[in-house]
Amino acid sequence: MKFAIALYSPAHAPSSRRALLFAQAVLAARHEIVRLFFYQDGVHSASANVVTAQDELDIPAQWRDFVNTHRLDGVVCIAAALRRGVLNEQEAERYSRPSANLSAPWDLSGLGQLHDAVQAADRLICFGGP
Amino acid sequence: MSTLHVLSHSPFADSRLSSCLRVLGHEDAILLCGDAVYALTPATAARQTLDAKADSLQLFILDEDVKARNLTPPDWVRSVDYPGFVELSVQFDKVNTWL
Amino acid sequence: MPHSLLIISRQPPWSGPNAREALDIALAGGAFDLPLGMLFLDDGVLQLLPLQSAAQLQQKDLTANLQALSMFGVEDLFACHTSLVERGMSPNELSVEPIQVLRDHEIAELIDRYDQVITI
Repeated sequence: MKFAIALYSPAHAPSSRRALLFAQAVLAARHEIVRLFFYQDGVHSASANVVTAQDELDIPAQWRDFVNTHRLDGVVCIAAALRRGVLNEQEAERYSRPSANLSAPWDLSGLGQLHDAVQAADRLICFGGP
Repeated sequence: MSTLHVLSHSPFADSRLSSCLRVLGHEDAILLCGDAVYALTPATAARQTLDAKADSLQLFILDEDVKARNLTPPDWVRSVDYPGFVELSVQFDKVNTWL
Repeated sequence: MPHSLLIISRQPPWSGPNAREALDIALAGGAFDLPLGMLFLDDGVLQLLPLQSAAQLQQKDLTANLQALSMFGVEDLFACHTSLVERGMSPNELSVEPIQVLRDHEIAELIDRYDQVITI
C-alpha cells in the first residue's frame, strides 16, 4: 500500500517522533511512502539548526537519516517554512537572510506537492499537535 | 467506508474528543495516543463517557503512551504498537488525525 | 477518479496562521481542479462570523479569501450546526455562502464520502 505522511509539528513535539516511528513501521511492513510532506510547524522538524542535548533524542537528525537511507521524497512547504524562518541557501539569498537552515535531503516546494501525494497514495496519514 | 480517528490532545482542556465522538460514524474507530490516553484515567468524566460506549465503540490506544503514563486501560480497549498502528491505517479506509 | 479530500478547519480566525493555512490547502487544491470539500467545525465556525475587521489586527482579510473559495473551484462548503449553536451564531447569517449547515450525523456521512481527510 502507498502512504503519504504529513507532519505538522516541530521536532520537540512528541508527534514528530510518533510520525517517524510510524513511517519506519510503514517501511518495515513493506509498504511504500510516496512522500513526506512537512507543513505548518512541521517545517521545524526539518531544520538543520536544531541542537539537542547529548542525552536527548535528535529527531531532526533521525528524520534526515531516515529520508537519506530510504531515498524518500521529503518536501517542506515553502510558504510555511518562509513564515517560520526555515530557509535553504537559495531562499536565504533571495530574501537576504544571514543563513540557511535547510538542506538536502529536504526540498522546499508548494502545497501542490501535498495534493499530488494525496492523489498518488492510498492513505494520507497526518501527525501533529502534542 | 470506515475512518480511524486519531487523537493526541489531553481530554481535560480540549474539545477534540467530545467533537470526535459527536461525528463518529458506525464503522469508525478511535486511536488515542500522546496525552489523549489520559482519557482512560479512572474516575474522570472522559473515562466515564468512553466506558458508557464500551459496547459500540472500537477504541484503540498506543501502547507506549499508556505505559509511559502508568495508566491501566480497561479490558474492552485494544492496545497497539507501531506495526499495529500501521495495520489499522490499512484496515480502515482513511485516517483522520485531529491535529 | 481523482481522490477527494475533505479539509476540516476547526481553528478560530485570529489566533495565528492555522485558519489561513487550512484555507491555503483548499485554495491550492482548487487550482488543480481536485474534488475538495471544506467543513468548519468547533472554533472553525468563528471564521464565518459576518462583519469581522481584519484591519483592526493588521491582518489580511480572511473572509475575502473564504468568499473566494468558490472562484477557486472549492464549492462544497459545510458548517457544523452544533458548533454554530454553541457559539451563539445563526446558521442564516454567515459571511460565506452558499454553505451547507450539517447536523452531527450528517457530518459523519460527509467524512465517510471523502477519500481522505485533513483536520486542522
